[in-house]
Amino acid sequence: MATTTAQLILTSTDLLSDSLSLSAIATLTQTGTNTGITETTGLTRKKVTSTAKGTTSGQITLYTADDFAAIPYLYVKNLDTTPGNKIFIYDGTTSGSPLQFQLDANDWAFIPMHGDKTYKAYATTNPTSIEFMVLGKDQ
Amino acid sequence: MATEAQLILTSDVSGDPTNVDTGLIPLYKAGNENELDQTTGLGRVHLRSTTNKVLFAANAEGNDLAAKVYIINKSDDASLYVTVTINAQTIGKLYGGDFMFIPWSQTDTSANIEVAATNWTSSTGDIPVEYALFHEDTDYLTNA
Repeated sequence: MATTTAQLILTSTDLLSDSLSLSAIATLTQTGTNTGITETTGLTRKKVTSTAKGTTSGQITLYTADDFAAIPYLYVKNLDTTPGNKIFIYDGTTSGSPLQFQLDANDWAFIPMHGDKTYKAYATTNPTSIEFMVLGKDQ
Repeated sequence: MATEAQLILTSDVSGDPTNVDTGLIPLYKAGNENELDQTTGLGRVHLRSTTNKVLFAANAEGNDLAAKVYIINKSDDASLYVTVTINAQTIGKLYGGDFMFIPWSQTDTSANIEVAATNWTSSTGDIPVEYALFHEDTDYLTNA
């Protein structure tokens, strides 16, 4: 059986009086079980050329709603190195509060998603390179 | 020395094994390379409520400032999960052992990060959750 793990390391020697050294390792499994996930989109790299949500082109779709059975795991990184060149991840709609989070230069995120929303990306600067991958159980 | 975060993803799901390593990346303030200089520290709560509880309360000053959130479900039971919401939208579900690390956009004062032990019952036991926030806004006060 395939094994997929995600490890987060958080360190700081000077933020607090007590140094921070945190490591968390998760084995990515199918929902509510100990069975490993079996599918992945593969690691993808693209250029985001849209600078607004809801445009007809230039946005990148990271994940399509209900493509995977819950829980799909999303890794996404803004590959730009200029501070302020942000990538905005939103739920594919344009009303309400669709913004899920924003990635400044070099920022990355890892999240076990609910899986029922489409995630798209636009950026402050055209183009901005993005890297992403979804792992989970296809349905 | 900054506060730094690193993600290592390994998988043999596909024929070409995945080995993503971001390396240690400093946590910077928004739009510059100054280090984030405030944190809640690492907190721990035991959830025993199926309704949403505020873990991090958004404030107006935080809009467009940098904040990074770490949350982990420390339960050993793979079936017990914590629902994470922002602005009443479910953004994540953390089953036992799962963690998330995301930038937090405090787009408005409704953008609280809330958590619920959605499938908790009196017989499942509490769901331990650890969390930390690294941020730059000075008005931030935790509601946890």
